[in-house]
Amino acid sequence: MVDLLFYVAAALCVLCALGVVVSANPVQSVLMLLGSFVGISLIYLLAGFQFLAAIQILVYGGAIMVLFLFVVMLLNQGDPAVLASEQGLLSKAQLAGGLAVAGSALALLLAAVVRTEIPRPIFGYLWPEGGLDPLVGMAQAMFGPYVLAFEGASVLLLTTAVGVMTLAKRQRSKPSVKAAPLSSTTEGSP
Amino acid sequence: MTFLILLIKASLIYGGLLVTAAVMTLAERKISARIQLRIGPNRVGPGGVLQPLADGVKFILKEEITPDGANKGIFRLAPIMAAVPAMLTVAVIPFAGETVIFGLDFGLLSLTDLDIGLLFVLALSGLSVYGVILGGWASNSKYSLLGGLRASAQMVSYELSLIMTALTVVALSGSMDLREIVEVQNTGNPLAWNCFTPVIGQVGLILFVIATFAETNRHPFDFAECEPELVGGFHTEYSSMKFALFFLGEYCAMTVMACLTTVLFLGGYSVPFWEDAPWMVELATFMAKTSFFLFLFIWVRWTLPRFRYDQLMNLGWKVFLPIALANLLLAGAFISLT
Repeated sequence: MVDLLFYVAAALCVLCALGVVVSANPVQSVLMLLGSFVGISLIYLLAGFQFLAAIQILVYGGAIMVLFLFVVMLLNQGDPAVLASEQGLLSKAQLAGGLAVAGSALALLLAAVVRTEIPRPIFGYLWPEGGLDPLVGMAQAMFGPYVLAFEGASVLLLTTAVGVMTLAKRQRSKPSVKAAPLSSTTEGSP
Repeated sequence: MTFLILLIKASLIYGGLLVTAAVMTLAERKISARIQLRIGPNRVGPGGVLQPLADGVKFILKEEITPDGANKGIFRLAPIMAAVPAMLTVAVIPFAGETVIFGLDFGLLSLTDLDIGLLFVLALSGLSVYGVILGGWASNSKYSLLGGLRASAQMVSYELSLIMTALTVVALSGSMDLREIVEVQNTGNPLAWNCFTPVIGQVGLILFVIATFAETNRHPFDFAECEPELVGGFHTEYSSMKFALFFLGEYCAMTVMACLTTVLFLGGYSVPFWEDAPWMVELATFMAKTSFFLFLFIWVRWTLPRFRYDQLMNLGWKVFLPIALANLLLAGAFISLT
């Protein structure tokens, strides 16, 4: 049962990830990415990490993907006809090259998976036998021995976010000094 | 046998949720009529009690219209995305303690008690915004799109305060399991309810209730459908049962949020001055407390004016979030002192 569910979730992940790249419509891509995240969350759940599964949905599904969708919808998506005509722009040589790179990467990955010894059963051995509450265990690990690393990582993330904001702001404000003051706002309208 | 009991429990709880949603549509119309000195629906059944049924039949029989240029798949998906997450969340709400009906032991009255019950509710209710956004986008109408955009920005802003306030309760009770949170408060003394924790409880309750209003897209934060500016907002182009599904989702989300407020702040099913009450009394207490919050949703909608959109954003980021964070800090100090 667990194995079957795993294959369903894994298939969902892979197919949706493929859909992100293939679909012509950006909103559809975001939806596909959401489906992929749901699949990953299912796999977490099967492995017994219910906290991680819930956080995956809460943070990525509920917040980040909503922001993605917001940005995609806000930006000018262009004329569907133009978008469709641009689809065939990749030349055959480019397509073949891309497929070759992707194929060899896949082959490498498959070889690695086949040669790695995977403990059997894949799932189930991770479930604590009526012992540690997963949430408490995770909290104890995070705020006990690993508290410095954990806080360090969050400070790093915060610094990155602030840094990106500062850099993006500086780059955008420079050309707009020369251009007409309204140019940056009219750019996005159709 | 255990499977049969689970099946009965599930049908009872989901039936209850759907009936509550139907009753809420009637209550909304009746109470709004009272507030505006009208009579409200009174033709179908005694005193208009069967009005929700008539509405349901009307919705099913109406013509379904898909606008030209709409993205058909997503247009169809959106009402489902609005209704399903709201209905799923009810699975972890604890309605009463040990339950025995006609000699059948039903165990604790909730579908399941997850370790991470609170996270489960918050995660899924965060997903319900997709219905509004996608519905607005797929309709191929500027009013719908604006409604959807507003909903997405609003939801992201208010979810933060909602989660921060819920975290205060988690800190106070030391668990994310909703039943555990109720049991900590269930001492027979109503002063043990989280809303009576000095300062922290009251601030938390007020913030949480307001954030649930924003989270469920209810007045005074219903910018996604704001009639004077956006015709009908995200559901302008929807008709028939698809339109009804959006409303079903909204009322289910309201019901679940009212249940959650009860659980987090008002001691859930704990009966004042009676620690080991029988399950029927506990269930009745739970329903009474939840009904109050449901009434509050309607009461506020028909008495307060709507905010302006920039006011809503300012309120969310510059007022609610700092207060919620300070409240969480205060809760930490309170716990370390007691």
